[in-house]
Amino acid sequence: MTSLEPLICAADDFAVDLTDVRKTYGRKICALQGVNLQVRSGEIFGLLGPNGAGKSTLVKIMMTIVRADRAHGKVLNRSVGDPVALARIGYLPEHHRFPTYLTGRQVVEFSGAMSNVNRPTRKKRASELLDRVGMGGWKDRPLSSYSKGMRQRTGLAAALVNDPQLVVLDEPTDGVDPVGRREIRDLLVGFRDEGRTVLLNSHLLSEIETVCSRVAIMVQGRMVAQGTIDELTASSRRYEIVVEGPAPAWCHECATIQMIPAGQLLAAGVMQESTRLIFLGIDAQRAQPILDRLRSELRTVVAVQTVRESLEDLFMRAVTDPTTGLIFRPGAAT
Amino acid sequence: MMQTIAIFVAAYRELSARRLFWLALAITLVVVALFACLGINETGVSFLGRTFENPVFNTVTTSPETFYKQLFVTLGVEWWLGLISTLLALVTTCGIVPDLVAPGSIDLLLAKPISRARLFLTKYATGLLFAALQVFVFSAASFVVIGIRGGAWELSLFTAVPIVTIFYSFLFSICALVGVITRSSVASLILTLLAWAVIFTLNFSESMVSGGRIANDLEGKAIEAALANTENPPDEEASEELLSDLERVKEHAPNWKSVHQWLYATKTCLPKTTDTLGLLDRWLIDSSAMPERAEESTRGLRRSFGSRRVKGSSLDKAIRDEQDSHSVWWVLGTSLLFEACVLALATLIFSRRDY
Repeated sequence: MTSLEPLICAADDFAVDLTDVRKTYGRKICALQGVNLQVRSGEIFGLLGPNGAGKSTLVKIMMTIVRADRAHGKVLNRSVGDPVALARIGYLPEHHRFPTYLTGRQVVEFSGAMSNVNRPTRKKRASELLDRVGMGGWKDRPLSSYSKGMRQRTGLAAALVNDPQLVVLDEPTDGVDPVGRREIRDLLVGFRDEGRTVLLNSHLLSEIETVCSRVAIMVQGRMVAQGTIDELTASSRRYEIVVEGPAPAWCHECATIQMIPAGQLLAAGVMQESTRLIFLGIDAQRAQPILDRLRSELRTVVAVQTVRESLEDLFMRAVTDPTTGLIFRPGAAT
Repeated sequence: MMQTIAIFVAAYRELSARRLFWLALAITLVVVALFACLGINETGVSFLGRTFENPVFNTVTTSPETFYKQLFVTLGVEWWLGLISTLLALVTTCGIVPDLVAPGSIDLLLAKPISRARLFLTKYATGLLFAALQVFVFSAASFVVIGIRGGAWELSLFTAVPIVTIFYSFLFSICALVGVITRSSVASLILTLLAWAVIFTLNFSESMVSGGRIANDLEGKAIEAALANTENPPDEEASEELLSDLERVKEHAPNWKSVHQWLYATKTCLPKTTDTLGLLDRWLIDSSAMPERAEESTRGLRRSFGSRRVKGSSLDKAIRDEQDSHSVWWVLGTSLLFEACVLALATLIFSRRDY
């Protein structure tokens, strides 16, 4: 794949299958300009994008918090906003504000009652879930005594009390320390292993890269990329050969080879000059003659490795205007 | 139903978490305790055993039962529940709707399988819970006091609970509308108080103009009766004065009528806060059991209406009859219609807005 074009999946088992979602705030701010989103059942899906790209608006439309100007498709095989579907979705908004006078247990139970979970079940699940998110010892204390991370964990428990098929999390690790982030990531994997679909909206690319099987990138109200990380970075896959000394002269004549000078620290204050030769494309066979030639010239090959674009590189490529080379300005299109 | 119960339970927890809630209930009980300290005996009114002589209120003219019921309606309901307690309730509950629509809070609720209209109206109803609880505590405590001190176990006192709650709901509907529009507790409180002041002024103006019109009519009738008196006819000078006064009365009559009609029509469209609380007066107090007011007590009122030939008690009775002639439908029905319109507008805004 050589470009960042929107991808519409062909699979038919989607937890979320939305097409042509449009939303304009007022008359000028085009938050969403015909967005397509397909999330397969049972996967962890990451939604990425710079500030104001329309990620939260898209999620809010799914959850009926914002009304779309136009939206086709289904969520859990029901139309958007269908109460039956909403009862099977667990949602944790970004800047959630649970009443601080409630205890963790009361928050989870209230969330369950609002999702029509009967009293015995929600009481049982509240205890189990709070234990699961590591809040077992705090369940009967008011939220006013919780830290930000503890509130996030409680919010996660509240989002799961209705045993949802689809869990929608908007920045779930916001304000959580590294240990807590790791634990939340493990929880997300656990949700997936239980058969739940997770839609994760996050700015933390490393987090998305670690847990998500598929991602989508939004920029200025448009979906610019959607697929597995492998699919989206396939076009950037390449071989890198690091050789000692300057680049061979013949490399300058070969258009498919890029050369980057690199240094290798041998000892304190002693640098070994080396060159990084980059071969675009993923065909290993094409690299063999190059290696043979380098060996025949008695050049020392320091390293040979397959390299591909990181999610951060992909993201930066997505948010860069290819014509000007400048980063798209933040915010929605006007 | 499960969701409705959950919202009510959460609202109760929210109220009980506020100090003002408990403070208001505590003050309510103190007010009833003071109420219990008041007594009536043959010579007048007593407070903590000390008697203050009063020719109007004593056991000769008024039964203890009527005395306590009158105290309950005038001081308890009109002043305490109708003013101070309502202010406390507004301060306590003005944040309910702005808190509901606050970012981060509304997201959690709208993502649940509940319609926006039902969510908003249920939340609105929880706001009335505070007023209802406060009135219930006051009525129950007053029931005990009147039972013990007045000797009458009057269950009809509890009619104050729905009536005062309805009265409060008129104001709270305005508070909810402003809350939805501005999302600000302070703006909700200030604009509701302003609306209340406007409504009160209009109600007061209408009752004053109505009183003036009645006084003018009675004055005309009294002059005509004096002129037609054949047994004791007025002399020539008195006749001229009577005719002159009659001409003035007839000249003023259309003005009184026209101004009153305008005020009455405007009042019909708005909540009738004073008349709503007045229903309790009408239902709980048997006016025939009330002591006759002394002439002096209404002289100021009569003078203000320019009536010189009408007995104060007659004017009071005529004004009271006029007020009692307003049907319950007119008082409550049109007020509730206003509330329904305000709530419908608030619900529409709440339902159509993006959060």
